[in-house]
Amino acid sequence: MAKLIANRVVAGMATLFLVAIVVFFLTDVLPGDICTAMLGRDARGQALTRCRESYGTERPPTERFAAWASGALRLDFGMTYRRDVPVAELIAPRFRNTVILGLAAAAIGIPLAIILGVISALRRDSGLDTAISSLSIMAMTLPDFVTATLLVFIFSIALGWFPAIAIVNVDAPLNELLPNIVLPVIVLTLVMVAHILRMVRSSMIDVLSSPFVQAVQLRGVPSRRVLLRHALPNALLPSINLIALTLAWLLGGTLIVETVFNYPGVGTLMVNAISDRDLPLVQAMALLLAALQIGLSLLADLIALVLNPRLRTVRG
Amino acid sequence: MTVLVSRWGLVLALFISAFATLGVAQAQPERGTLRIAQPVEWGGSESLDPYSEFRLYDANARLYNRLVQPGADGAPAPELATSWAANDDSTEWTLQLREGVRFHDGSDMTADDVAYTLNRVIDPEFDTPVKAVLGIMESVEAIDDYSLLIRLSSPHADFPLLLTDYRVQIIPEGSGDTIGATGIGTGPFKLETFDVDGTTVLAANDDYWEGTPKLASVELVPIPDQQAVLQAMLAGQIDFFPASSSEADLFTDESKYALRVLPSGGWEAFVMRTDTAPFDDVRVRRALRLVVDRQEMIDLVLGPDGGTVACDTPVWPGDQYYADLACTQDIETARALLAEAGYPDGIQLDLFVSDLSQDWLPMAEVYQQQAAEAGIEVNIIQTPSDGYYSDVWMVEPFTATAWGQRQADQILNEAYRGGADWNETFWNDPEFDALLDRARSESDAEARSALYHEIQQTIWEDGGSLIPFFVNSVDVWSSAVQGIPDVPYNEIPWHKVSVTR
Repeated sequence: MAKLIANRVVAGMATLFLVAIVVFFLTDVLPGDICTAMLGRDARGQALTRCRESYGTERPPTERFAAWASGALRLDFGMTYRRDVPVAELIAPRFRNTVILGLAAAAIGIPLAIILGVISALRRDSGLDTAISSLSIMAMTLPDFVTATLLVFIFSIALGWFPAIAIVNVDAPLNELLPNIVLPVIVLTLVMVAHILRMVRSSMIDVLSSPFVQAVQLRGVPSRRVLLRHALPNALLPSINLIALTLAWLLGGTLIVETVFNYPGVGTLMVNAISDRDLPLVQAMALLLAALQIGLSLLADLIALVLNPRLRTVRG
Repeated sequence: MTVLVSRWGLVLALFISAFATLGVAQAQPERGTLRIAQPVEWGGSESLDPYSEFRLYDANARLYNRLVQPGADGAPAPELATSWAANDDSTEWTLQLREGVRFHDGSDMTADDVAYTLNRVIDPEFDTPVKAVLGIMESVEAIDDYSLLIRLSSPHADFPLLLTDYRVQIIPEGSGDTIGATGIGTGPFKLETFDVDGTTVLAANDDYWEGTPKLASVELVPIPDQQAVLQAMLAGQIDFFPASSSEADLFTDESKYALRVLPSGGWEAFVMRTDTAPFDDVRVRRALRLVVDRQEMIDLVLGPDGGTVACDTPVWPGDQYYADLACTQDIETARALLAEAGYPDGIQLDLFVSDLSQDWLPMAEVYQQQAAEAGIEVNIIQTPSDGYYSDVWMVEPFTATAWGQRQADQILNEAYRGGADWNETFWNDPEFDALLDRARSESDAEARSALYHEIQQTIWEDGGSLIPFFVNSVDVWSSAVQGIPDVPYNEIPWHKVSVTR
């Protein structure tokens, strides 16, 4: 068991390192750099050379990677090009905002998806099941910017219930943020429900027809107890990974939703950093995103290990 | 009984005082707050220094004043300078300054401040894009408290026009290192909070020399995404939206929005490198320009009210030196010119565009169709918008370009003088440059005007720009905002603007 966990952790670290290499060199080969982005029309001749010298972008990439990676190990991602403040300082308050948004969406979306999935499984192939499936798939298939625009049109422009976009300071207190997250939370919920719902539904159907559930039912255990105590925990096992990935997606800043709503989170910061060619910022955030994905799926693996003894033996 | 009376008396008194305050409140309505989106175009490196290349555009005109502002006829009008005069050959300019103007910190604005501001521009240590405009200044010195002598390195009869540039704002003496954060100027609003990522608040400067502002404050809120700005405008969260002509239809509800379509001097164009074949042949350049039906291009690209026809010169109809040229489509002449230049069977060209401007690709497509009639086969090449200005523009021989409004002397010298930084057509004609010199040094207004007309005629006949139109600006204001005259955004007298919600 310990060996298994150690293996997973090491594999996670190795993945993160590979990601770091890819992120660094990929952002490096993109056309344009901080100087062409910043100087625009002035990006030529002497001004360009001087700018590139001042940012050290002319140094060989391997040399820059070594400096950057050794800094990253100490969680020092350097200064942002544009704002002249440490990268971490810029990310921290925005990460808080993204976590608030992500957790709110998760707190609503995940239980909703599970409940709807269970209902669909119980009423399998009924009109209700079909309705839930088709509506959730529709919500998932509509691109989030379309849903967002529709919601803004209805609830902000026509009805005026919620602000169309967030106009708040980055370090605004929670109560100022809350009215601004209603619409984004709805959009995120709509996008994520279908994936989890379908997973829960199908594994619930499997579990409900499995011999052990039939055995429990034959012993006369009340159906509510069969469902909550015996069937649901087993049906949720396969969904844990999916839920973890969804969480990682939410906490990594949902680029489009945050941008559309002008929400001061890491997603908006990422989009702007990319268009500004603020590479230290882009690289740090890409690493953060990767670390979130890797960390949460590692966590999901561990939870699955704890919940399912059959997985605990190391094979091969 | 007496207690009762006094109690009723008290109630009555309260009522009266309540109505009295109400009456006062009606007589002097609360001043409102104007909310403007700022695009965070410099990614957080925004500065309040008007001379910085990262100037916070929307703060400039509200915090500071210029010496001279553009008048209605395109001629210079007084702002902080009340009058000006040149010596005989227009190499020395004396400016008289307005008295009694105070900076936000309470100090008097004098000739020393102005001399400091202008000398800072030509300081070799200081890097500012304004050098391109005012680099002609050799020295600036205060004569007394309210007059100033400016010496130029070469004659310039329209020097005051250069001072109307929206960046040439006056700052206090010695404030160069701090102005980026303090924003101390003489303008109608003074800085309260400066927060690029949050809300920047500019509060009314009740001491303003042109009159007390009718707004309590102006808030600049950061919204980098253009779609988000549009949504905020539609939901009434902000008060101003610079729309494209296709977005104008969203704002037809007159109870909510006031739409202003104004002609502007901004233009989009294709430019040919006149130093590269086949564009080094004037006949080819002429042919390529003659095939354009400019009105049709406006209709198709911008919509019928989207712009005004340009005849390949950058001097716009609002400029006092604008020459009204004719440039109708002439396919036959174009064909003849091409044949003469050695392309009797037509010619193939690569035209480079990117999506930096949403108009470039449609422009190129319309041009492709129009040029095909004269046997010109235009091959449109789309390039990444990242690095377009460093890797494509002024590198490839035939590219798209876009410029903001500039007055004649400025744009002609920035983009058409041989060897100029932004000479995008690589046009290098000493005779033309001499003409530019003569125009700017000619002290007789009519003769000067004639010279500028000659310059435009030359560009239309021989130049390398293909400027089909000037783009109209579509300004959308919330109907809660009053006091906006029909002038460009930069020229709005902000102290007269009010908001009633």
